[in-house]
Amino acid sequence: MLRRVMLFVFIALAIFSLNGLAAEKRLTVISGWSGPEMDAFMPVLKAFELETGIKVDYQIYRAEDLAVLLPAQFAAKTAPGDVIMMWGWFINREAQAGHVLDVTGALNEADFVPGVLDAVKSGNKLWGGSYTGKVKPGFWYRKSFFQKNGLSVPKTWDEFQALCAKIQKIPGIKAPIASGNGVGWPLSDITEHFISTYAGPEVSLGLMSGKVAWTDPIVRGVFEQRLVPMLKAHYFSEPIEWTMAADLWWSGDYGLYFMGSWITGMVKDPTDLGVFSLPGSKGIVFAPDYAFVPAYSKSPVEAKRLLAFLCTKGQEIQVRQGGHIATYDKVALDAYPPVDRGVADLMKGRVALPDLDDTIGGEWQPAFWDQLKLLWVSPARVGEVLDTLQRKMPK
Amino acid sequence: MGEFRRRLVFFLPALVLLAVFVVYPVVNTVWLSFLNRDGGFAFLANYADVLSQPEMFDARGFTRGFPFGAIIHNFIWIAIQLPFTVMLGLVLAAILREVKGGAIIKSIIFLGMVTPMVVGGIILRFLFDGNVGIIPMLLSLFGIAPRTLTAYPDTALFSLIGGSLWLWTPFAMVLYSAGIETIPHYVYEAAVIDGASQLRAFFAITVPLLRPVTGVVITMTFLWVLKIFDIVFVATMGGPGGASNVLALQMYMYAFREFNPNAAAVVATCLMLLAMVVSIPTFRSARGDE
Repeated sequence: MLRRVMLFVFIALAIFSLNGLAAEKRLTVISGWSGPEMDAFMPVLKAFELETGIKVDYQIYRAEDLAVLLPAQFAAKTAPGDVIMMWGWFINREAQAGHVLDVTGALNEADFVPGVLDAVKSGNKLWGGSYTGKVKPGFWYRKSFFQKNGLSVPKTWDEFQALCAKIQKIPGIKAPIASGNGVGWPLSDITEHFISTYAGPEVSLGLMSGKVAWTDPIVRGVFEQRLVPMLKAHYFSEPIEWTMAADLWWSGDYGLYFMGSWITGMVKDPTDLGVFSLPGSKGIVFAPDYAFVPAYSKSPVEAKRLLAFLCTKGQEIQVRQGGHIATYDKVALDAYPPVDRGVADLMKGRVALPDLDDTIGGEWQPAFWDQLKLLWVSPARVGEVLDTLQRKMPK
Repeated sequence: MGEFRRRLVFFLPALVLLAVFVVYPVVNTVWLSFLNRDGGFAFLANYADVLSQPEMFDARGFTRGFPFGAIIHNFIWIAIQLPFTVMLGLVLAAILREVKGGAIIKSIIFLGMVTPMVVGGIILRFLFDGNVGIIPMLLSLFGIAPRTLTAYPDTALFSLIGGSLWLWTPFAMVLYSAGIETIPHYVYEAAVIDGASQLRAFFAITVPLLRPVTGVVITMTFLWVLKIFDIVFVATMGGPGGASNVLALQMYMYAFREFNPNAAAVVATCLMLLAMVVSIPTFRSARGDE
């Protein structure tokens, strides 16, 4: 009898513990943030865990790696995570193939920056959400460096040229502007800023939609009259791995560094940071980080809940860490650290532009990065670069 | 017949695995290269399309400089790496046989071979970096202004070839070392008695007797260069402007960036044909030697 009772108790305990295990949901979030960027993201996930009791694992995959991994996984009807941060064009493309969960209704579109969700929409269906965004406002400098060398923020193109010439003459300076590189995107950010400033935001948008050709005289003019002379004058450094470039710039090897707003979270003393756009700039790239739930998530309900949290309350926690700008309208301005408020101030009166290469995407994107690396070291080959960019544009 | 069956049973598992994992993918890849995106038969249209792309062959490079296209880059790579690998491997093996502590030096040189190629690619990126790299630093001792050698179209490919030599030559050295150990000492002693110098003995004894090893080194190096991908992918991604692009990387780009399996299959088939052109005669010649 005692043995039967013990057996019954044992079976009951086993069933109970299995049920308990089954009830514990675990979600996996994937994004490309590592190091300090990851550290700033973890409090957001922690807040979600505290609020819901759902455990969240974090995995790091760069978007470039996900572009290779996900199509193969999706073809096998599986996914490496429950909420994945990825390019907008990619989410939309995979949604058309049925690999993305419809999240219509999970977010109130009216609560977001106008147009910011367009990249992950088709018709009335919403395929993802926008997390915080990154602004690529212009050239960052150390206020202490400017003060020490008697430099000031330029108001005109000529003043900008004069500033570069002046920095070039400072002893110990390798080049006035550090050119971040890696896979190539930092150079594309600089180029986009030149195009939106000197050809206008509408030309930037035209290039994205394919209505304006890369060989168009307006675009060619920006390259030949603005960018190429600066490259020929060695105002830009040769391409340097971008985190190394940030360190070298901070330590005084370079005077200026074109980078996105996340730089504020990468430097030792953000209060020493200043930033200015190219004189005459009318548009600034505002690139949201898009997230989606794959159709093969094992916990779709919880995954949607996490997506909604990230895109709303999570944004406020994230912007407090610095380096991020909210796409959720309900994030109060006082949530931002002072330096980010300065970035937000730069946006005033300017058109918020989508990231050009993230919007066009596909095989054109790495081609753009690669051709710009060629331009940076061989500016005389600008014609060849523009021809290649046009040839590679999606038909 | 009984003997044949016994042999068949012995070989069958290997044959099945070979058929599933080698023969089928090869045949399917070749077949894929003749199909269009919709699955229809395209005959040679894919080949004409892919081989006419500047990414594969860019004749303008002959007047303007790099890029020349992946095919030419692979041939340049072979033309440089093959003789250097054979010469360096042979010379290192011969010298280190006579040097005290040669085994330790060989082990150190062999470290290049055990480095994972992705890590090798990252190391190359920093070795050639104008700010932190040792190579530009060494070149600056000769008055050459330091610059990131992988960032310029005229030096990117040659930098990678140099790195590939560093990573691959230990393989040749180890093979030649093993080959040299099989040459009896009395052969050299007889040569010395006949009045031959060390150099003469090297060319008259070592080099001819190592011919089968040289065949293997040439074949393996050729295949290594043909399939070179990882160090290029990590160090330069084929850039700048495609100046260090190679066939295997282009195949990857077609497959995983353009999602064009047919174009990727064309490149894969070309790679396979090139590999066969070299490996079949070499292995036949090795069989003849036996």
